Amino acid sequence: MAERAAVVGIGQTKYARRRADVSLEGLVREAALRALEDAELGWKDIDAIVIGKAPDALEGVMMPELSLCDALGAVGKPIHRVHTAGSVGASTAISAATLVESGRYRTVLTLGYEKQSEGNATWALGGGRSGSQGAGGSFAPWIRNYIQRSGAPEHIGWKVAVKDRLNACRNPYAHLHMPDITIEKVKESPLLWDPLHFLESCPSSDGAAAMVLSDATGAKRAPRPPAWVIAHAKRTEFSQFPGRDTVKPVAGVDCARALYQKAGIRDPRRQIDVAELYVPFSWYEPMWLEGHLICGEGQGWKMTDAGETEMTGAFPVNPSGGVLSSNPIGASGMIRCLEAASQVRGTAGEHQIDGAKVALGHAYGGAAQYFAMWIVASEPAPTYR
Amino acid sequence: MTTRERLSRSDEDIAIVAVAQTPSHRHYDDSEASMLMDLTNQLLAESGLERSAVDFTIAGSCDYLSGMPFAFVSNVDGFGAWPPVYESHLEMDGAWALFEAWVRLSVGDIDIALVAGSGKSSPGNPREIFPLQTDPYTAAPLGLDPASVAGLQARALLDAGLATERDFAEVVSRSRRDALSNPNAQVKKDVSADALLAEPYYASPLRKHDLPPISDGAAAVLIARGKRARELAKKPVWIRAIDHRIDSHHLGLRDLTDSPSARLAAKGVGLHDGPIDVAELCVRYSPEEIVLRRALELAPGTAVNPSGGPLCGHPVMATGLVRVIEVARRIREGRARRGVAHAASGPALQQNLLCVLEGDA
Amino acid sequence: MSALPPVHYRLEYPYTRTTGPIVGAFLTALRDGKLLGIRCRGRVLCPPLEYDPETSETLAPDFVEVGPTGTILSWTWIAEPSRKHPFAEPFAFALIRPDGADGAICHALKASGPDALRTGGRVRAQYREERRGAITDLYFAPEAEAEDRYVPPGKGAVEMTEHLISLDYTEPLSPHRERYAKGLLDGKFIGQKSPASGKVYLPSKGYDPIERVRMSERDDVVVSDRGTVVAYTVITPVQYYGQKETEPYIRASILLDGADQPLGQQDIRSIGVADFRSGMRVRAVWKPKAERSIADVDNRWGGTGEVIERWEPTGEPDLPFEKIMEHNW
Repeated sequence: MAERAAVVGIGQTKYARRRADVSLEGLVREAALRALEDAELGWKDIDAIVIGKAPDALEGVMMPELSLCDALGAVGKPIHRVHTAGSVGASTAISAATLVESGRYRTVLTLGYEKQSEGNATWALGGGRSGSQGAGGSFAPWIRNYIQRSGAPEHIGWKVAVKDRLNACRNPYAHLHMPDITIEKVKESPLLWDPLHFLESCPSSDGAAAMVLSDATGAKRAPRPPAWVIAHAKRTEFSQFPGRDTVKPVAGVDCARALYQKAGIRDPRRQIDVAELYVPFSWYEPMWLEGHLICGEGQGWKMTDAGETEMTGAFPVNPSGGVLSSNPIGASGMIRCLEAASQVRGTAGEHQIDGAKVALGHAYGGAAQYFAMWIVASEPAPTYR
Repeated sequence: MTTRERLSRSDEDIAIVAVAQTPSHRHYDDSEASMLMDLTNQLLAESGLERSAVDFTIAGSCDYLSGMPFAFVSNVDGFGAWPPVYESHLEMDGAWALFEAWVRLSVGDIDIALVAGSGKSSPGNPREIFPLQTDPYTAAPLGLDPASVAGLQARALLDAGLATERDFAEVVSRSRRDALSNPNAQVKKDVSADALLAEPYYASPLRKHDLPPISDGAAAVLIARGKRARELAKKPVWIRAIDHRIDSHHLGLRDLTDSPSARLAAKGVGLHDGPIDVAELCVRYSPEEIVLRRALELAPGTAVNPSGGPLCGHPVMATGLVRVIEVARRIREGRARRGVAHAASGPALQQNLLCVLEGDA
Repeated sequence: MSALPPVHYRLEYPYTRTTGPIVGAFLTALRDGKLLGIRCRGRVLCPPLEYDPETSETLAPDFVEVGPTGTILSWTWIAEPSRKHPFAEPFAFALIRPDGADGAICHALKASGPDALRTGGRVRAQYREERRGAITDLYFAPEAEAEDRYVPPGKGAVEMTEHLISLDYTEPLSPHRERYAKGLLDGKFIGQKSPASGKVYLPSKGYDPIERVRMSERDDVVVSDRGTVVAYTVITPVQYYGQKETEPYIRASILLDGADQPLGQQDIRSIGVADFRSGMRVRAVWKPKAERSIADVDNRWGGTGEVIERWEPTGEPDLPFEKIMEHNW
């Protein structure tokens, strides 16, 4: 590799159902300015900008790099926009990392956002047609399939929903703050798509998340500890083809394998200290624990059930509250990557996992067919347990 | 802003080893994915590679052209994604996908990338779609379309004495004539500037022929690094540099007679470090050729758009990549040694990408 | 049968954009018949920006009224306005520098004709009788043709602006999709069998994506209209703009006998949730020929239009989970 990339600044907006106080430019600037401030850099220090978001129809703004470039200090600079469905936030972070790794750009600002309150996410997810089943409607049969295959008890999803919302109470940026949430409340909330109840589903949020990435020189001068990008991987498969495993997609397994190999990780369950996984519907926590080889087949729900994925557990998942607590679609994948970076920098505040040195940031998208993940660490060449 | 030294060892240079494009169709009767499938198969056949030998795949396309959020997902069918592949997608012209692929290969750990751009403009009404690229509060609700902005740019050129209406007509006349020898061009004919000038205005001082046609089409290239490039192509076309920059989106703050971002990109690629034998520019509106020739400081005799350019075929989201292919082809065929391909995005050349290509000595 | 008509679809949504304080102040002023600029390091920018365009630093909300007159810096006469333009009859777009501002605003100029316009010409801001707190409240006219109407100010601050974006798309069915649609009208499911893999795709996209092989008419095969439910979701419709559904229903995928991938988007309203299961054997009950419609069948989504009256259980024993778990789409 020509260069090593590191996260030297992070910034996020407060996530909310509707950010009525800002324009599109105001929203992205809020995150970008915070990231620059965190890195103690100015706009002029940025060599290139990479933005990502979900389909343009969510806001009705086509190719927004064109109308947002001024707001992001990009005039006179390279700016490009990544679009890989729900995984886009992580794909964008990875694209930014490769700009630095190539040795062609020293300091890169990357940002993911969505101001989906301007439109309607269910409408857009259904292609703008009547009768949209939403993302949850597409995943529900696969979740039921997982439950049948694994023999998981029905309460697992409810447990995840409670855990992530309680974690979010320690994250001031999170959209949903539900300190009174309980298993009973989740179980009694309306059934949206069997088996998913309302409180097991992600909210629709406005928000933006940004990072400043730089090379080793930039990491050295950074005022706060950098998060080194140790490895990243992406894999894609078709949405539909004869014999496709929709529950444990091969692309997800391949992506994890490639990621761990690049990172030199042999035992992800032990060697990764904390994971921010893209869990928009509760059951995807155990499904991704298995789907990304953190545990064996049929074991994911047991990890959740045993409390291993709690903040106090052996493999904390989503201490930030995850997608279940904040979901500006274009930003969600970047938030996972940003939260992983925050953990190894020791800047996660009240949702910090003590001693986290190696963290996984993950996103998936489309018909669970796009995967993008990265491993960040507190050292450029970490020694694993 | 810092600029990094380019990797100078020849093993690290990246070359185009195969190219493929569809003709520019007024209407293609099947999907983008089917076009991309044909091109992918062509590239693999030409270079003798299995699909699995391609390390990274990246495409450019635009959902709004087909009016379907997530339309790009279907295009994956075209490149093949089983077994799963490492791929990405930009909601931009394939030329920017080429940029990302070139950067990705520069990291040095992988060797071969497939790059594509595709779009069908025929189903929708581009004139109504493209205003959505403008400021959502102050411009998009006015339906401010690119032809209208091009009209403003054209008048600014006239007012500044930098061009005449005849100059615009000459660009179109020359392009249409050159397109006669391009089997992929959509609009081609021998028409004089005088005949063109007799047509009525559409967005004054522009006439309908000063605008691009509506087209469906796709383009794809295979790029490879150093040693691998030499193994895959007898005549690799080296990518010397790619740079892209953007201007303000506030039209009222821009000097429409010039393109500062094109100038910056030219500096970034070292455009004039050598002779330019051929330039394929994204001239969608005839005044853009005038602006670009000035901004890129092209010598008066430089061959611009021998393919006919986008005025003769404009498969949006592939158009920029087609420019790269047209230059690469000429270099490969020995008709040029060094050339530049240009891609643009946004109203009045707001964003500009340059790619300098060179054959072996 | 002659060619089927092209498919038309409309992508439409009434977007509601919150403006933030700077754009909001600008649109509030438009509603009240005034043009606002913002001070920026000795210059005045109109429309106002949230940041300095050169340094990107956030600007203080230091507004100043500009115009109502201004100067044309460039203009273009639009001979055939589009449906989205501010005027149905020919007009001009122009870059106009309001008096007191630096830089220009791009907007519409209503004029008697192109002869009334020239670079350097003087114009006056005009306001629509009905204003919505949007950029369309404003337009310009040459000074000589302008009106100086009183604009009654509105109440409160504009914090949100609306934009109904409506785009029409028309596309003929691709040849294979047309044959599929015609098959539906004939009471048949026509799929395509890959010459490379032998897999049967229904509805086909005209290619085998796994083998990367295009298919043609000779690859068409008729697939049984009897099959197995392999996946389903009970949908409680979310109400959004354009939504036609109001009552919960089942959306199912059915693997027809002979096909290698399920037929999706089958909306089941005649079988109750309690009686519906994955693995269940069903058969299509076709509508009478005269009532069949394929108006909703397009190139992208497929579906079966309005040709199937309902799916009904055949009464055969269910297929076990193991037999269908790999068709979980």
